[in-house]
Amino acid sequence: MNKIIAMVRKELIDAARDKRSVMAGLYYAIGTPLIMCGLFMVLIGQLTSPDDLKISITNPDKAPDLVRFLSNKGITQGEAGAKDLKAIELIISPDYAKQMNQGKGAEITIVADNSEEKLQNSIRRLEKQLQAYSAEMGSLRLIARGIDPRVVQPLKVNVHDQATTDSKGGMILGIAIFTMIYSVFISGMNLAIDTSAGERERNSLALLLSHPLTTRQLVLSKIIAVGLFALLGLVLILLVSKVAYTFVPWQELGFSVSITSEFMALMLLVGIPVALMAACLQLFVSFMAKTFKEAQSYLTMVLFVPLALSMAASYNIAPDILQWLPVSGQQQALMDFIKGKDMNMLQLLVSTLGTLAIALVLAFGMEKSLKSEKVVFGL
Amino acid sequence: MRYSMTHRKSHNASARFAIKRSENRWLKGTQGHKLLGLSALMLAICSSVTWASDNAVNPIPPTNTCYVEGVSDRLNCGFVTVPENPNKPDGEQIQVHYVVLPAVKNVNHEEALLAIAGGPGQSAIDNAASFDSMLNKVRQQRDILLIDQRGTGRSNVLNCDAGPQSPLSFDDDNVDTLAEAQKCRDQFPDTDVTQYGSLNAVKDFEAVRAHLGYKKLHLYGISYGTRMAQLYMRLYPEHLATVTLDGIVPMQQSVLEIGSAIERGFDLLFKDCQETAACHAEFPELKAEFDQVVARLTEGPVMEQVHDPVTGEKSLLTLTRAKFYGAIRMALYQTNVRALVPHAIHQAAKENYQPLLGLYALTTDGAGMAMGMHASVVCGEDIHRITPAMREQAKTSYVGKTMLESLEASCSVWKVPPVDASFSEPIKSDIPTLLLSGEIDPATPPSWGELAMEKLTNAKHFVAPYATHGVAYQSCANNLVAELVRTGSVKDLDGECLKKDVRRSFYLNASSVEPLATEDATHSSKDKPSTGAKE
Repeated sequence: MNKIIAMVRKELIDAARDKRSVMAGLYYAIGTPLIMCGLFMVLIGQLTSPDDLKISITNPDKAPDLVRFLSNKGITQGEAGAKDLKAIELIISPDYAKQMNQGKGAEITIVADNSEEKLQNSIRRLEKQLQAYSAEMGSLRLIARGIDPRVVQPLKVNVHDQATTDSKGGMILGIAIFTMIYSVFISGMNLAIDTSAGERERNSLALLLSHPLTTRQLVLSKIIAVGLFALLGLVLILLVSKVAYTFVPWQELGFSVSITSEFMALMLLVGIPVALMAACLQLFVSFMAKTFKEAQSYLTMVLFVPLALSMAASYNIAPDILQWLPVSGQQQALMDFIKGKDMNMLQLLVSTLGTLAIALVLAFGMEKSLKSEKVVFGL
Repeated sequence: MRYSMTHRKSHNASARFAIKRSENRWLKGTQGHKLLGLSALMLAICSSVTWASDNAVNPIPPTNTCYVEGVSDRLNCGFVTVPENPNKPDGEQIQVHYVVLPAVKNVNHEEALLAIAGGPGQSAIDNAASFDSMLNKVRQQRDILLIDQRGTGRSNVLNCDAGPQSPLSFDDDNVDTLAEAQKCRDQFPDTDVTQYGSLNAVKDFEAVRAHLGYKKLHLYGISYGTRMAQLYMRLYPEHLATVTLDGIVPMQQSVLEIGSAIERGFDLLFKDCQETAACHAEFPELKAEFDQVVARLTEGPVMEQVHDPVTGEKSLLTLTRAKFYGAIRMALYQTNVRALVPHAIHQAAKENYQPLLGLYALTTDGAGMAMGMHASVVCGEDIHRITPAMREQAKTSYVGKTMLESLEASCSVWKVPPVDASFSEPIKSDIPTLLLSGEIDPATPPSWGELAMEKLTNAKHFVAPYATHGVAYQSCANNLVAELVRTGSVKDLDGECLKKDVRRSFYLNASSVEPLATEDATHSSKDKPSTGAKE
C-alpha cells in the first residue's frame, strides 16, 4: 500500500512538473462553462423578441385602431434606417376599412424571412397579436349580433404541463452534464499519455519496473493518479458552472438552470467510476501505442465512443438500450435528477457496474501487457 | 337574490377586473344575473369578452401540486385552517385555500407577491390566469401567491344560487329584494355571516404568509382588493416590502359612493364619442338616444322574442331599465367592450336590442362573485357610512338609488355589526406604494386614489389617461409593478409610458371600427385631450 502511495506521489509530482501539457486538460474544465454561458447570453439576447419591437408598417392610417392595439403590446412603427428596426413589414391593405365594413376579411400582409432565427420570435409575436386582435373583434361582432362569443369556442383545451421550471431547461442541462462528463475524460488525458507512452519514450518506464514493485502496483498507482486528475477536472467544472450559470438570464426563455449542491455531490459520486474507467482506458490505449504522438491520435479516436454515448443521451435521441450502458446510463440518471424526476436506480447501478467492469478488464489487460517486453520497450 | 345596489356596484367592479384580463367567467349565463345587472358593486375585474369561457370552481385537493384553469404550469396548492370566528378559536373551523405560482427563477425565496382579487367576492385562484399573464415579469423572479379570501372560491364560498329563472326573461324591476336576500341567507344556515369581513380576511392572509414562511410580501390589490391591501398595511406593515393599489377604494370611502363614479363613467363615454370625429359623425345624438331608451324602459320593460345568446333558441327577453343600465355599466369596464357601447345604444334607440342583448349576456354570470360574502363585507364596512346627504345624492341617479335600496334590504337580513369608526381612517405608512388609477374608470375614479394618498409618505399615484378599471391589465403599468417589486422603491418609477395612446376606436356598425375612406378626412382619433399622468 505504501508503495502505491509513494508511486502516486511520484506521478503527481511528475505531472506538476510538466505544467503546460497537464494544465491544458484543466483549462477545458474552467473554460467550457464560461464559454457556454457567454454564448447563451448572446443567444438569449438575440432570440428573444425585444420588449419594444420596431417594425415597418405600411398604410398605418388605414387601421389606426389596430396600430394602437399593437403599440399597446409593444409592437410599433420604427423609423426607417434605425438600428433596432426589425426586418418585418406589416402591410395594411388600402381596402382595409372597406373590407372591414363589409364584414369581409380585412387584408394584412406580413413580409419577413421566417428562416432568420433572430426574427422568428418577433414574427411569431406579431402573428399572435394579430390573431388576438382578430379574435377580439370577432367576439365583439358576435356580441353586436346578440350572440355569446363562447359558442364559437366549442373546445376548451386545458393543458396540464408536467414540466417544472427546472425540467424545461432539460436540453441545456443535458449539454451541461455532457460537458462535465467530457471534462472527466479530457482532464486526465494528457497525464495518462505522459505517464505511459511518455514515460516509455523517456526510457524511465523500464527503470520504474526494475524497482521492487509489482506490475499491479505500478498500474494501480498510475490509474489512481490519472483518475485523481480527472476528478480534479470534474470538481473544477462543477464549481465554475455553479457560479457561471447563475449569470445567464434563463428566465427569459421561461426556465431556470441551477447547479445545486445536491447535484454537485451526486455528479461527483457518479463521476468516480467514470473517472476510473477513463483513466484505465486512456492508460491502456497509451501503452498500446508505440509513441507519444501515436497515443494522442489513438486516444482521440477511442474517446469518441464514450462521448458519443453521452451526447446521444443528452439530446434524448438514444434508443432505450443506451440507458443501461456505461456513461450514457449515468448521464440519463443525472438528467432525471436535475429535472426532478425519479432516478431509475437499477439503470444507474447497472451502468455503474458496467463502467467498473470495463475499468477492471482494462486494468488487468494493462497489468498483463506490462509483463511483455514488447510493450515496455515499445517494440 | 338581488341585494342592494351597492352590491351591484361591487359586482360590477369585480366583473370589470375579470373582463380585462382573465378569460373566465364573463360569459357564463346562468344564475346571479339579477344581482349582476344592478345590485353588485363590481369592484372587481371582468374577464376578457373575447375568449370568455365558463369557469367551474374545481375543488383543489389538499395536495402540493395542482393545476388551475388557464395556467398550464404545475402549481403548489394548499390551505390553512382557521377559526371562522377569531374570538372563538375552538369553534367552527374553515379552510383558506391558496395557490403559489412558482417563480421561473427564484431570486428571493423569502419574498412573494400576494395578488388580491376584487369583488368583494371574486376568487383570486379562479383569476389565476389573468394574474399570471399580467404579473408575468414579476413571476420571472418571485413567487406569486393567490389566496381565496374567506367566503370566496374554494374557501367556504358564500354563493347565492339564484334558482332556475332565466336571466333573459326575468323581470328584475319587480323583485321582492328582501325575500331574495332572505332566500340567499337561508342557503348557508350554519355560517356566521358576520365573520366574513375584510378584517378577519386579512388575518387569514397573514396566517397563510406565516404558513408558507415568506418573510416579506409585495402586495398587488385590485379594486376591492386595494382595501384588503390597505388593511394589511395598517395591521402588518412589518411583513410588507412594497404595495401596489390598482383601482383604488380609499379607506375613507364607502364603496356605496360608487353611484357617482358610475355616472361619471357614463358621461365620459358620451364625451369621448362626441370628441371622436368618426363616432360623433355616426352617433351625433348619443346622449339623447340613451335618455330616450331609458325613458322608454322607465314606462315598462320591453318584451321581445329573441334568440338566446348561448343556445340560439327562441326566448323571451324582458329588457328592464336595470338590465339596460347594468349591461352598459359592465361594458364600460373594458376598453374593447366599451367601444361597442355607442353602437348598442344607437341600435336600442332604433328598437334593435341585439347588441344590448349581447352585452347583457356578458354580465349574466355575476363575474364569479360570491354574493353572500359580498354582502358580509359591504353590510359591515360600508352601509353604516351612508349619510343622509349621500342618500339624497344617491337618489338623483337610478343606479345609485337601486343599489342602495337593494343593499339595505340584504343588510337588514345579514345583520352584520358595523366596523369600528377607526376602520375609515386613512392609511398612514411609509411602505413604498404605487397607486394606479384609470381616467375613464367607471368604478374607482382617480379622485379616490388621491384620497388614499393622503397619509402615504412614500407613494406615487399615476393616472393612466386611457385606462378603465384595473390599470395594470391594460397598459404598461404591469411593468411598473415589476420594477417596484424588483427595486423595492417608488423613487425611479416613471409613469410616462402610461400616456401612450392605447384608445380603442368605437364601433361604427356591427362590423367595423374603421370609418370608410370617404370619411377619412374627418376621422381623427387623436384629437382627444390627453390627461397626463401625475405623481
